[in-house]
Amino acid sequence: MSQNMQPPSVKSLLSNGAKKRTSSHALPTWLLHISLLLISFCLLLPFYWVLKTSFTGENIFIYPPSLIPQDPHPFFYIDTWYYIPFARYLFNSVVVSVLAIVANVVFNAMAAYALTKHFKGKSLVITLLLSCLMIPFQTTIVPAYLITGKIGLLNSYLGVALPTFSTIVCIFIYKASFDAIPTSLIEAARIDGLSELQVILKIMIPLSSSAVASNVILSFIWSWNNFLWPLIVIRDPLMQTLPLGLSRFLSYHENTTGALYAFCTMVLVPGIIIFLMAQKEFIRGLTSGATKG
Amino acid sequence: MQRFFIRFRELVSCLTITIAACSALLWSTSAVAQQKKISFLTWNISDQEELFKEWIAEFKKIRPDVDVEWLDKKGPEFPAYYQTQVIAGTPPDIINTQGGLWLEYAAAGGLVDLTPYLTKDAEVRKRFNSDYLGSWVYESKNYMLPFYISKTLMFYNKTMFKEAGLSGSPQNFEQLMDFSTKMAKGEKTGMLTLNFDWLYWSLFKMNGVELLTADNKKAAFNTPKAVQVLDALIKATNNGGINKVSWTGRWVEPNGAFAAGNVGMLQAHSPAFFFIRGQAPWINSNTLGVAQAPGGWATPNSHGLGISKGSKNPDIAWEFLKMVTSQKWTERLSERRKVLTANIASDKTTLDKMHKQDPLAATVLQTQLEQTDKLTGNWPLANDSRIKEAFYPEIQNAVLGRKTAAEALKDAETKVNRVLGF
Amino acid sequence: MSGLTSIGPNISPSTRRKPSAASPGSKARRELILVWCFLFPSLAVFFLYRILPLIWNLVLSVQKFSIFGQSEWIGFAHYWALLDDEVFWMALKNTLLFIASAPCGIVIALMISLMVNTEIRGRNIYRTIVFLSYPLMTVAVGIIWRWMYDEKVGLFNFILRTIGLIDTPLAFLQSFELALPAVLLANLWQILGFYMIILLAGLQNIPQNLYEASAIDGASRTVQFFRITLPLLRPSLFLAFVVGIMTSFTSFDLVYVMTQGGPSHSTELLVTYIYKAAFELSRIDYAATLTVVQFVLLVTLTWLGNRLSGGEAGAGRN
Repeated sequence: MSQNMQPPSVKSLLSNGAKKRTSSHALPTWLLHISLLLISFCLLLPFYWVLKTSFTGENIFIYPPSLIPQDPHPFFYIDTWYYIPFARYLFNSVVVSVLAIVANVVFNAMAAYALTKHFKGKSLVITLLLSCLMIPFQTTIVPAYLITGKIGLLNSYLGVALPTFSTIVCIFIYKASFDAIPTSLIEAARIDGLSELQVILKIMIPLSSSAVASNVILSFIWSWNNFLWPLIVIRDPLMQTLPLGLSRFLSYHENTTGALYAFCTMVLVPGIIIFLMAQKEFIRGLTSGATKG
Repeated sequence: MQRFFIRFRELVSCLTITIAACSALLWSTSAVAQQKKISFLTWNISDQEELFKEWIAEFKKIRPDVDVEWLDKKGPEFPAYYQTQVIAGTPPDIINTQGGLWLEYAAAGGLVDLTPYLTKDAEVRKRFNSDYLGSWVYESKNYMLPFYISKTLMFYNKTMFKEAGLSGSPQNFEQLMDFSTKMAKGEKTGMLTLNFDWLYWSLFKMNGVELLTADNKKAAFNTPKAVQVLDALIKATNNGGINKVSWTGRWVEPNGAFAAGNVGMLQAHSPAFFFIRGQAPWINSNTLGVAQAPGGWATPNSHGLGISKGSKNPDIAWEFLKMVTSQKWTERLSERRKVLTANIASDKTTLDKMHKQDPLAATVLQTQLEQTDKLTGNWPLANDSRIKEAFYPEIQNAVLGRKTAAEALKDAETKVNRVLGF
Repeated sequence: MSGLTSIGPNISPSTRRKPSAASPGSKARRELILVWCFLFPSLAVFFLYRILPLIWNLVLSVQKFSIFGQSEWIGFAHYWALLDDEVFWMALKNTLLFIASAPCGIVIALMISLMVNTEIRGRNIYRTIVFLSYPLMTVAVGIIWRWMYDEKVGLFNFILRTIGLIDTPLAFLQSFELALPAVLLANLWQILGFYMIILLAGLQNIPQNLYEASAIDGASRTVQFFRITLPLLRPSLFLAFVVGIMTSFTSFDLVYVMTQGGPSHSTELLVTYIYKAAFELSRIDYAATLTVVQFVLLVTLTWLGNRLSGGEAGAGRN
């Protein structure tokens, strides 16, 4: 308790700062748990049915709905590997997503850094970016295809990933994070002789690890789940990304229910893994938020 | 923090290597095209990959100077893909469409008129059931060949019939409504129909209601009889006779509901049988009844094969079409996918075989070839999708309780006439 | 805001003299070049894939376009036709309703984010659970939610009737009044994870010691929330608000799978109408008109939101 009285020092905050939050402004723990459990239950309910059907392939329209899975078996998961060239599609998706993530992290951070400066036309750029957000993809299908064709990137990994190389939402997440870094810190770094690039790499990015983590998570998911654009731009069946395999599980002539849900669950897993990995940065952020102070 | 950055650097190096590798791969695979090339785009039939590979191999023997490419898109994305390709100037040479989509393209000049080809190769025309072949005629021009065909029929849950004390199948519309109401109880409903692509239209046609005047220029459905029919449908929907999913469902829900054994009757086309059977262990010839709808009217929902106007090799495309609709290949398709292809000879052998191997499926498919002179819901309208869009929401308004039958039909008439340019 | 810099390490003015000998003018110019170089890659991507397509749509909206044949200029005919189109007005209304419901989702997401941002055990699990629905393919989400809403065999009716809340089952997706709220609920379920990420990232930007300092001053939790958390969360809240505006079209897949805009256009959004017009009704020129109108509408809303939140995307400092 006495540590609270001291002026915060970087070292003590790094070690203890995280723990002190609860006592200062959180609700009683049991209340938090109850609320979160309730919310978790509501959120998991539909997901439970997806999971259950992926193991049983049962008809969900049977009445009354059964909570317990009937004859669960993992064969639908095995089926998905054979219905479509799963490994090949997985590889393609990974390549495209890696391209997208790296480009995103780099380009978005650069753009956000530029937006922390004051320059003529800044508000115009911000307005432009916000406006570009308001253009849904469905309205750009044909021109995007024509443009990609002109660049000569049809049916290529780069062509699939290119429209997702930068995302405006993530630029603003970075910007919010960069803006929160006190200028005094940056000034100090400049005085120490660091170049612009080093300032970004050594000061701003490390202090914005939660923004980087968010960017990685979001750009991965948007690229991984991207369905319509790869569908339009990929011609070679072996270049297809994972979501495009979906049609095989939506057959009119055969019952592919279990396999469909198994497929959806398998496509979901990498996104969750990335989230779990990147989540740690949200904790780092907790302590580095203190360092910002 | 260090670990995060080491991962980051690793990612960057991985990326560089990946890009380099992929670029190398790409440049090597895009060989200069010396061959002629045709492509064919199919509608949601990716499970038949093997068959198409066989098609391509066979065609290579006929025309070794031609490379064939297969593309497949499922329904909702099909028009987006095809239209993008058309605008980009690279339409697939052959397209397979479902239902009425071909009309939009044919009427706008997007499909090649196949009539001259059919005249030149008269034996091709003779292969097909003429009623089905006629499904793809617009302004006296033939635009497509049958790929595989289907039309609506009635499926009956005999167990539910017995429970409700009903015997025999309904013979007319009134009985249809009566039976459905009798079977409605709790979670069980009497009847379900598919609603996309005019598949529900037999319910009106069996009462003598016409959508348009004989010259297809004006709406003709706002009649007292039609109001009566719609009123009956509203009443049945309200008392559970007709499952509400009939009016808003697409494929999975209606068929899933029937497969669950909760629905007395289902109006759907033949593929539904195979989808349902996979989910319904209760189905056998004692529990499932199969018949034409009362009056014999059925809406076709067939798949056709046509040639894009922008194709650079229409003659080669025609050769390909000739091959895939020949008896050998239609038989193979029928065998693999349990569909009929309107190729008279092949359908006969398919059905003969199936009666021995899978009698219930055979009775289902048999209905597809019966009473093909009573096809309805397939008007040759250039504005087919717009008319659907003008008409069907008003039906929904009526059956789901927002408007009275009279109001709905009146509003629908105004809208349809507007689309027709009246 | 100035409190931030005062909390930082104490830099005395004397150490601020810059060692470089470059003149201030060229430094400013160098910075300007740097800024535009840094902005270039992103702007290039947006130019190619958002702005050019928008211009394409604009040009198309004043033509009568046939994908198989000739196009001709018809001026603003499509725009006038829009005014008479009752489906357009319906779609517009639904889109605005979608946007209006976003704050509700943001508030819930904020509550959740605050809760999982504390030190409670298992917060990683809670976070993952909240996030789980976001990356799930819409096809699965759509079919399951359609089943849950089913009148005869659906989960919601089953639960509601078992606990005795209602007598007759509710036909959610076949009802003109309930269909849109039903879709909104499914959408909320999916998008909570996205909001949570934005808000969590924003929460990390708030320095710890502000809370501690104010706790020492005797501030209650409520005061801390309204005086510290909310103001400093403004950029993230603005971003969440913008995402809320966007869900009126990013939820395209969900609406399309769940209801296709039905019944009778009661869940039709501008974006679903655009897609239908372009690809089902073969009226790609009319769809372009709708695109332009939707763009103007959404940009206006965003601009209003930007003004209300102090400009510069909510960041009112530095």
